[in-house]
Amino acid sequence: MTDTIARSGWRVHKRRATIWALRAGLAVVVIGAWLYANTIGGVSPLILPSIPAVIEAFVGVVVDPEIWMQAGVTVFEMLAGFALAAVTGLSAGFLLSRSSVFARAAEPLLAWGYMFPLALLYPLFLLWVGVGVESKILYAALGAFFPIAFNTIRGLRSVDKKYLEVGRAYAASRLQIDLNIKLGAARPLILAGLRIGSSIVTIYVVLAELLGSNQGLGHEIERASSRLQIPDSYATVTLLILVTVVLQRIMERFLRAKHE
Amino acid sequence: MTQLTVENLTVTYGANTTRELVACENIDLTIKEGEFVTIIGPSGCGKSTLLHTMGGLIAPTKGRIRFDGADVTKPNPRDAAFVFQDYSLFPWKSVEENAGMGLRFAGASKAESIREAKAQLEFVGLKDFGGRYPRELSGGMQQRVAIARALALQPKMLLMDEPFGALDEQTRRNLGTELSRILGEAGQAVVMITHSLDEAIFWADRIVVMSARPGRIAEEITVSAPRPREMEFMTTPEFQDIRVHLFEQLEIHQREAAERASAATVV
Repeated sequence: MTDTIARSGWRVHKRRATIWALRAGLAVVVIGAWLYANTIGGVSPLILPSIPAVIEAFVGVVVDPEIWMQAGVTVFEMLAGFALAAVTGLSAGFLLSRSSVFARAAEPLLAWGYMFPLALLYPLFLLWVGVGVESKILYAALGAFFPIAFNTIRGLRSVDKKYLEVGRAYAASRLQIDLNIKLGAARPLILAGLRIGSSIVTIYVVLAELLGSNQGLGHEIERASSRLQIPDSYATVTLLILVTVVLQRIMERFLRAKHE
Repeated sequence: MTQLTVENLTVTYGANTTRELVACENIDLTIKEGEFVTIIGPSGCGKSTLLHTMGGLIAPTKGRIRFDGADVTKPNPRDAAFVFQDYSLFPWKSVEENAGMGLRFAGASKAESIREAKAQLEFVGLKDFGGRYPRELSGGMQQRVAIARALALQPKMLLMDEPFGALDEQTRRNLGTELSRILGEAGQAVVMITHSLDEAIFWADRIVVMSARPGRIAEEITVSAPRPREMEFMTTPEFQDIRVHLFEQLEIHQREAAERASAATVV
């Protein structure tokens, strides 16, 4: 008995080691390809700067207080976009779920909005709200609204009948059923919607900044590229990735279902 | 003292449509205070419908249900509280919160419901499991939580819809003897649906046998041995005689149902 546990523990260990080895292998391949392209491959440094140049640029970028201001703008846009999408998406989903006619009408529309390549609409956003932070926030919020509202309706309307029957049998009021039963049962789906929303927000903010902006990390990348400061542009991309990953991780943590 | 009366009850699903289905018909039944009544019958005979109607979850098509003289039009868990076959605990709430949920719905404060839930959990032997979540408990334990949830309201009657249907034989038997003691102490009247002959006899003061659809009451059998009973009761002549009789009756009803079904397909 203890022997099998020990052995299965060892197997888990071994599997984990294999996974990390594969990941490390991938990193080695990428770095190797990069080195190859820079040297024997003869790729222009305008397309792919050398690794030391990028590292040097990265150090230069992160010690510049200005870049952190810009990163702050980007993070603010992401958080504001997410907050807006969460508030509107959750309320729309909740209100629409209360009437089966509205819900049935809205569900395909929301699914469609979720599928639609909203990037096509960004030029219109620029026209309507200008190049400032507002257009980024609204645009990201629009993208995240659909999965949040859709999952909220879905979750609230697909609550297992047996739970609702308990509510009826124990004479729960409509509000009690909403708060104690529907919300609890729908929680995993609603949280999934919020998680999808949070990743959409980060993508859309960066995309919007690249497509037209006067502030933010995306704007910095765009500016460095247009001036052919390629190592700077690589360094800023790296910083953007780090900032986004950290933000994503934090949001994920808050949006995890606990007991499912 | 009579507590619940079912008078000339008929429940029809999809009335006045082509798919009309008479679930139970012309049922008269009374449940006395503190009495334990089991309902047994072939599957699809309307046992669940009858129980749900008794508790106000389904409205009668004809006839009436009265509890302490007043018409039952909607569920009132302080009179009659349900225990469902699939436990129906909320997986997102702790065992303690689940056991207190009935009280919460009835308007009790969170603190009060938890206090009562703890007392009931101790009563059903789950004192140390209040902080756990339902999925961490076995089926038998989950059903005990569902029973605690019902008992927390101190109802006058429990309506149990095949409460052990999803459990294995051994667990059923152990939980059965334990609960028969617990429910004996609690003193509620209980109406319990079951598929098991042994359960139907072991628990009951009175066994209601239903015929196949449309469900009617075919027979009522009184079990005279005093409750709570020990496992040995199953070896007594009374138990055996009733068991043989019930077995034959259910065979007959089952066969009738099958014959009627095949006749219907021929037509």
